Amino acid sequence: MMKGGFEVVHATLDMIQPYHEPIWEFPTTTTVISSIPRQSTVENRCINFDGNELSEWVEQITKQHIDDLSAAAETETGLQAETSMVCEDSFAPSMLGHFRPRKTVRSFLDGSCDDEELQWRNNELEDNQANNGFENGGNGRGLSSLSDDHGLSLITLLLECAVAISVDNLGEAHRMLLELTQMASPYASSCAERVVAYFSKAMSSRVINSWLGICSPLVNYGNVHCAFQAFNNVSPFIKFAHFTSNQAILEAFQRRKMVHIIDLDIMQGLQWPALFHILATRNEGPPTIRMTGMGSSMELVVETGKQLSNFAKRLGLSFEFHPIAKKFGEIDIAMVQVRREETLAIHWLQHSLYDATGPDWKTLRLFEQLAPRVITLVEQDLSHGGSFLDRFVGSLHYYSTMFDSLGAYLPVDDSSRQRIELYLLYREINNTLAIGGPARSGEDKFKSWRSELARNCFVQVPMSSNSMAQAQLILNMFPPAHGYSLVQGDGTLKLGWKDTSLFTASAWTSHASR
Amino acid sequence: MKLSSAKGASPSHNSFHSKRRSRHIVPPFQSPDQLEPWSSVAVDMHNNTNTNNYHHHQLQNIHTSTSLSSDYSGAGEEPCATGDKWASRLLMECARALSDKDSSKIHHLLWMLNELASPYGDCDQKLASYFLQALFCKATDSGQRCYKTLTSAAEKGNSFDSARKLILKFQEVSPWTTFGHVAANGAILEALDGETKLHIIDISNTLCTQWPTLLEALATRNDETPHLKLTVVVTANIVRSVMKEIRQRMEKFARLMGVPFEFNVISGLNHLGELTKEALGVLEDEAVAVNCIGALRRVAVQERGAVIEMFKSLGPKVVTVVEEEADLSNSQHDFVRCFEECLRFYTLYFEMLEESFAPTSNEKLMLERECSRSIVRVLACDDEQDSGGECERRERGRQWSDRLKEAFSLVRFSDDVVDDVKALLRRYRDGWKLTQPLQDETGLYLTWKEEPVVWVSAWKP
Repeated sequence: MMKGGFEVVHATLDMIQPYHEPIWEFPTTTTVISSIPRQSTVENRCINFDGNELSEWVEQITKQHIDDLSAAAETETGLQAETSMVCEDSFAPSMLGHFRPRKTVRSFLDGSCDDEELQWRNNELEDNQANNGFENGGNGRGLSSLSDDHGLSLITLLLECAVAISVDNLGEAHRMLLELTQMASPYASSCAERVVAYFSKAMSSRVINSWLGICSPLVNYGNVHCAFQAFNNVSPFIKFAHFTSNQAILEAFQRRKMVHIIDLDIMQGLQWPALFHILATRNEGPPTIRMTGMGSSMELVVETGKQLSNFAKRLGLSFEFHPIAKKFGEIDIAMVQVRREETLAIHWLQHSLYDATGPDWKTLRLFEQLAPRVITLVEQDLSHGGSFLDRFVGSLHYYSTMFDSLGAYLPVDDSSRQRIELYLLYREINNTLAIGGPARSGEDKFKSWRSELARNCFVQVPMSSNSMAQAQLILNMFPPAHGYSLVQGDGTLKLGWKDTSLFTASAWTSHASR
Repeated sequence: MKLSSAKGASPSHNSFHSKRRSRHIVPPFQSPDQLEPWSSVAVDMHNNTNTNNYHHHQLQNIHTSTSLSSDYSGAGEEPCATGDKWASRLLMECARALSDKDSSKIHHLLWMLNELASPYGDCDQKLASYFLQALFCKATDSGQRCYKTLTSAAEKGNSFDSARKLILKFQEVSPWTTFGHVAANGAILEALDGETKLHIIDISNTLCTQWPTLLEALATRNDETPHLKLTVVVTANIVRSVMKEIRQRMEKFARLMGVPFEFNVISGLNHLGELTKEALGVLEDEAVAVNCIGALRRVAVQERGAVIEMFKSLGPKVVTVVEEEADLSNSQHDFVRCFEECLRFYTLYFEMLEESFAPTSNEKLMLERECSRSIVRVLACDDEQDSGGECERRERGRQWSDRLKEAFSLVRFSDDVVDDVKALLRRYRDGWKLTQPLQDETGLYLTWKEEPVVWVSAWKP
């Protein structure tokens, strides 16, 4: 899968050398960033905006629907507790033991109720938002794909199914999923239908894993990396992560002669050639570079290392590469071999494709021990923790937005798009909804790394205007007419689609670093 | 934040260094009827609260570099991307495990299949996905219910337009259905040559796509155009709702062709054997042809003889039968063998679909989903609970011939008809061939990549 050679994307990036040293001076008193915007704040801003995208609408409907159904479920519990649950939709007891539905949400809503409920919600939304695009066949721009009964019924069924899963009514959920998987197509022209097709598949997968009692994943890294590359070609998010982080690292390396970069999940190392290029041609002369690349398989990491070494050699850089085929949170500090004279940068692009780093608390502790000069962190604006329903709502919003962004740019039958949706986005959806959360391990994961870093010996380094400029350059490669939005605030850079932020880039430095 | 007990001796140590890495430590899975602890753990896990019992059930993540198959086959084969039939292997192993009631193995394999399968991926992933569904239904004893849910969902989404579009597109890219149509029409026309009152009894779900060319042939015959009565017997519920539109179109087309035409539909039968001459409206002065496309396989196995006798009682001049070449007639007695045959047939079919349609074709998806319902029906449903012609137990041409020989004798297809079929096949991609077995002369076979897939034959009393 590895293609030989790398391209340096923009020679113009060289121009972004000058920056301001003061960013790197420690203030004499520690500044604590206390109000890092959380996912919910971003969402709230989105809801009030007068847009018609699928993802917004979903956000509304989901919250309403879940509130109603959960309330109903709660009232049901009291009634059902004593009676034996021989719901005809549960699995045969012979095979499943005690998979009895504790609450039967479905019985509360029969067909007629559904329509009334939806109607009521639509009306309420109209009142709240003065937004008249929600009737069947409405005029909403992004909703034309949802304006037919088919689309609406799909989303409704999906939501009900999620609620069923959240209350462990797996028999009912399975039944609904059988329907959904016959009704929604991942090749549809409507992004909404594609999203439903993948979400229902993910939930089916979860139902089976529930029955089996397993949550571990089986990953086909080849497919994942291939899709990752395809995604990099059509969407600015990866490049955004790479180039803004590179800028922050460049700034941290100012006037340093020996540098060491640890990439927590290097994959094919697409990020680094651009940085090497700048380091090789910087005014003060290039530093000696050591890189520790971490990843899922030794073979792949070694190959990446070879490619990077060749590239560095061509640039005349002194370069050493150390592969580690383990998760960062599971290694010993000794494995990393940081030398005293080195300036250390740690880079982490978070994703939900697989668990790249292992236990969070160990990762944090290792960060502290290593005391790097800079940690460049790019997070998905998606909470990985919380209950199933929380993750469902969050990821429905998040991935609907992603699908929208692809759909605005690529034709319906584009095979690249299908590959990305199936091997990348679906993979993440599957993991996010799975038992055990996105890392598929059942461990507690931090809700927000930015808050954790802020709380534990790290100081945020605001992303410079040069980083912003980098991000802008990237976006210029993907015309703004397509709706990407770049926001700078609270020292971070956020890139999203329309009003939903999808990735946040930030930089941090350790108190103890030099 | 700190994990409490997961730091204890984790089973991962054992599994990670064992030679056959794929066969991880399989935790002491309990037999299926003792699954309560499992369900409670599953609940706990997704509440992210209780990690105490967790490590007993965690299987090690697999960190494979290039291929998954090399891990679990142990033979160091090529990566999945080069299509190395990992799905067949896993599925067969799982079928055997089910048959042996080896519950820990069943769980392990179902887990792998669940992780690797996708109905939207490549052939292997699709086969894994649909057969996994059937295996899961079988393991949870929910086959009948699942099948009902699947079919009613499919029926809901069905419309004349979508059904028609599907059939026409399929006929455009593959001769799977048109092969039988052309051969059968040829045999019917020859057998009814010179007759003035024709009555064709069409037992099929082809939405009458077979008949326009026959009508045209009748209209362009040298002698006087005969009167045609077409009685369509519908066996699949999904087709019932669209017959009204079909009637309108057929009547219109016959008018255009100038063929005196009468159209009847019979549906809602529980058993084909219920049909009688009266019910079908067969009159004494009519020349009758019985045309059976994919219909005999929907008859319960023990009733097939009776249905054939019923055909005989109609006094037809010719009986044409088209079926697909697979033997799925008994899953009760030998599940593994039936599973293997089912897998073989659908692997061929899915590969054929993959090569005939565009990758993101919705029509292909619809056909695959249709298969998925059949697969559930054949593998996970009890025949005793069957109601109304949804049986789908295919038999091979030779088997059907043995049955039909009891009441009829074979009619050879004339050279003209064979030529017509060959001309048809030339319109499609490479890979399709016509085979005429000379030894036992049981009809014509359509072969795809040297494998016989569709069989057509003609019979007379």
